Amino acid sequence: MKKSSILGLVTIAVAIAVIISLYSKTSSYGSFSDAKKTAAELRVVGHLDKQKELYYDAAKDANYFSFYVKDKQGEECKVVFPGTKPQDFERSEQIVLTGQMVGNEFHASDILMKCPSKYTQDKIDVTEAKAKSANI
Amino acid sequence: MNKAFQGEHLLPGHLGQIFIIFSFGAALLSTISYYFATTTTNKLDTSWARIGRFAFYGNSISILGVVVCLFYIVYNHYFEYHYAWSYTSRSLPVYYLVSGFWNGQEGGFLLWTFWQAVLGNILIWKSKSWEKPVMTVVAFSQLWLASMLLGIEFFGARIGSSPFLLLRNAIEAPIFSQPNYLSFIKDGQGMNPLLQNYWMVIHPPTLFLGLASVVVPFAYAIAGLWQKRYKEWVTQAIPYTLFSAMILGTGVIMGSLWAYESLNFGGFWAWDPVENASIFPWLTMVGGLHVLIVYKNTGHSYFTATVLILLSFIMVLYSSFLARSGILGETSVHSFTDLGMFWQLVSFTLIFLFVAIYFLAARRKELPVTKKDEETYSREFWMFVGAIFLALSCFHLVLVTSIPVWNRMFGTKVAPPTDLVGHYNIIQASFAMVITLLTGFTQFLKYKKTDITRFFISTLMYFLLSALITALIVYTTGLYKLQFVFLLVMLGSVYSLLVNGKVLVDALKGKFKLAGSAVAHIGFALMLVGGLIAAGTRGVVSKNDTGTLNLGNFDKAAGDVKENIMIYKNDPVKMGDYIVTYIGDSVSQPNHYYKVDYKKFDEKGKLTEEFLLKPNVQINAQMGLTPSPDTKHYLLHDLYTHITALPQSAAAPQAADAAHGEANDDKNYDPPVVHEVAVGDTIRFREGYIILKSLKKEAKVQNIPLTDSDVAIGAKLEIVSNGKTYQAEPVYMIKSKSVFDFARTVDDAGLKLRLTKILPEKSKVEITVFQQPQNKKPWIVMRALDFPYINFLWSGTIIMIIGFLLSIFRRNKELKVV
Repeated sequence: MKKSSILGLVTIAVAIAVIISLYSKTSSYGSFSDAKKTAAELRVVGHLDKQKELYYDAAKDANYFSFYVKDKQGEECKVVFPGTKPQDFERSEQIVLTGQMVGNEFHASDILMKCPSKYTQDKIDVTEAKAKSANI
Repeated sequence: MNKAFQGEHLLPGHLGQIFIIFSFGAALLSTISYYFATTTTNKLDTSWARIGRFAFYGNSISILGVVVCLFYIVYNHYFEYHYAWSYTSRSLPVYYLVSGFWNGQEGGFLLWTFWQAVLGNILIWKSKSWEKPVMTVVAFSQLWLASMLLGIEFFGARIGSSPFLLLRNAIEAPIFSQPNYLSFIKDGQGMNPLLQNYWMVIHPPTLFLGLASVVVPFAYAIAGLWQKRYKEWVTQAIPYTLFSAMILGTGVIMGSLWAYESLNFGGFWAWDPVENASIFPWLTMVGGLHVLIVYKNTGHSYFTATVLILLSFIMVLYSSFLARSGILGETSVHSFTDLGMFWQLVSFTLIFLFVAIYFLAARRKELPVTKKDEETYSREFWMFVGAIFLALSCFHLVLVTSIPVWNRMFGTKVAPPTDLVGHYNIIQASFAMVITLLTGFTQFLKYKKTDITRFFISTLMYFLLSALITALIVYTTGLYKLQFVFLLVMLGSVYSLLVNGKVLVDALKGKFKLAGSAVAHIGFALMLVGGLIAAGTRGVVSKNDTGTLNLGNFDKAAGDVKENIMIYKNDPVKMGDYIVTYIGDSVSQPNHYYKVDYKKFDEKGKLTEEFLLKPNVQINAQMGLTPSPDTKHYLLHDLYTHITALPQSAAAPQAADAAHGEANDDKNYDPPVVHEVAVGDTIRFREGYIILKSLKKEAKVQNIPLTDSDVAIGAKLEIVSNGKTYQAEPVYMIKSKSVFDFARTVDDAGLKLRLTKILPEKSKVEITVFQQPQNKKPWIVMRALDFPYINFLWSGTIIMIIGFLLSIFRRNKELKVV
């Protein structure tokens, strides 16, 4: 066999290995009810329930932050994050949590939040503009 | 347009829009003319080429016009333009206005097309017989970039997005029905505070120059296929490929320096999709570069070289699609949102992919192929293997980063691995290990054929030596705690360092032209060494278990480390080897700096080191609080500190304070404690003590004139709190038969002191002490990290750039332009 064909085979083998290793590692976007069924980590997409309390008291524990999230199915669950409250958390429109259920709490190891207003500031704050006009 | 609006400056926008359309038209004309110039059979007819050239000049001048118009708008704060309003504000200093210029997507495209125009002009000047086919491709790419800026409705679909869009056309709001709406828009939205960093002034232009320059080797590769000049294009393309890889690499590392210095994720690389996308083209480019050199020296691997070079440009387009189409939505923190150009970006990528595939397919039978296989012990074979592994590394990154793309294409709903960073680290480390080892031992091989015995002896010798050194490094830095594959990367890097060091020494003795690659390889290996140790053994200095809500063993991913520590003002806390104290604030709008004093003591308790770090937080109306770290740089490690939480009131400190009346103020303190004391007595409180030094008969209170019948007594107090001494003088006053007392606050000690009574019969006075409860005292929560040997990463980058430069000079000398 030619050396280049051997190398080609090796390349394909490595590529397949990469795909398989990725495939075995991929998680799925789930809901809290999915999380309750499994012990594995998974991602839950949802939004912050702004009616409920966001608990962070640095004096008690600087590494404990809890809040309530409604997932896409509308199920709500208490979420605990071992860290500080991310800046601007209240303004998030969507939250992607990575973690697992522990009892009735979802323990998140990672929070990814989306605040669209951060980058597309396409909302003109009319109330603000009017308040300014009163000053003139 | 039927309505007249007051105060708008429409001229620069109209002018700019005309320039955009003109640049589009000129690029179209240039493409067509260059195409006919290339395909015309009459070699004496230069008219097409001349039109193509002048059209390209026209395109370049128009782009300059667009740049000037846009800058004029931004500089003069014409907020009637959406771009100026969105990304700048009056308070921005001029150098950030410059970066505001490329803050938006339109600015990014503008920067890209600007650099591509510059490169095109260089090609017109330098490329001689290659001009026509090469410029056809460059002008075609210019055409696409110009279309991204058009912002014109075309059969109901909007093509591109113009930076000259007016605010009132971009946003629907009732105020735009008033002709004088502009008088209500006093200021722009301002720049994202994270981008207000000097790296953001130079990182985007560098990165875009890198991205734009990838088109040059691509154009040469296409031209080579098109004109059937299979061999010649390679020599021409090598210097440009080197340049491109150098600038792109620099741009990417600048981005990571920016992240390290001003973002707060605690590192320099996070495997975020947008970061990954920026290195796709770099990996294929560097791979392609190596095979180009193989082909030049041996005639092997033509196909692979061409494919990798072609792929690099496709990767540039693809990464631009990923970053700008909004498709990364749920996986990236900082992907831009969709400007409605999804399909335009897709077609930009696909059309160039099609061009590349078409030419490869059309010429497949004529491509130079070597009948003989490479020798196993030849440099070309192993360089080829290295290039393949670079491509595989890119393949893996593309595969994982594109998960949202696969989901969209196949309608699946797959989420990226939960431990994404770990996944990337391990797989990419495996590739890095192979690649570093290859950059090492390939140096002992010669092109075509090598003496096997000598090769094995020297390879083994260096291998053993590097294994020894690696063991030493692993032991001293604590790398052994990591997974085994990272140790192998370390071994590979050390090996590459040693071998290339030897090549460099030889090069300095005579074969100087080999220095470039040796230096670049050394730089690359150093980067890996630095990155690996810094990321792998990053230590959390602010580790603590003081919380009362202890979660115990949380879960594997988060670990048990509690990385944040809370510090009350003027209350020293032990943190790692340091005693840290939050000693105060300083404000320089819009930054709020928190002064954190670090002290280090030796065993005998002697102060060995003291320094101040000032992590800052920007308080921005749109974005809330945005922290940036401050870092103490040492030669061999960095101490990195950033704020992770602040009291609620910090967002609006002044407003909160002013709102409280005097009566309300007592609520901020614990119930007062009354002490009867004589001069010289001591009052104790939680953090220290107060001494009544003396009583002053004629105390003065500002703005209150005293008459003879009035009495004013001041109590001179010395307060010692946490080892610091403060003075205060509360005053007791009888004026017009009424009793007043004037409290004094000592904010730093969290005290309010009143002289509430005079007890002449006991010759004592009554001092009332108000102390702030612990949680009312100002506090910060911060995280401190230690990055060992991170300077290797930065210095490795510089060394790599030098290596690239040396190679560019060398290859440029070899170049005979025909």
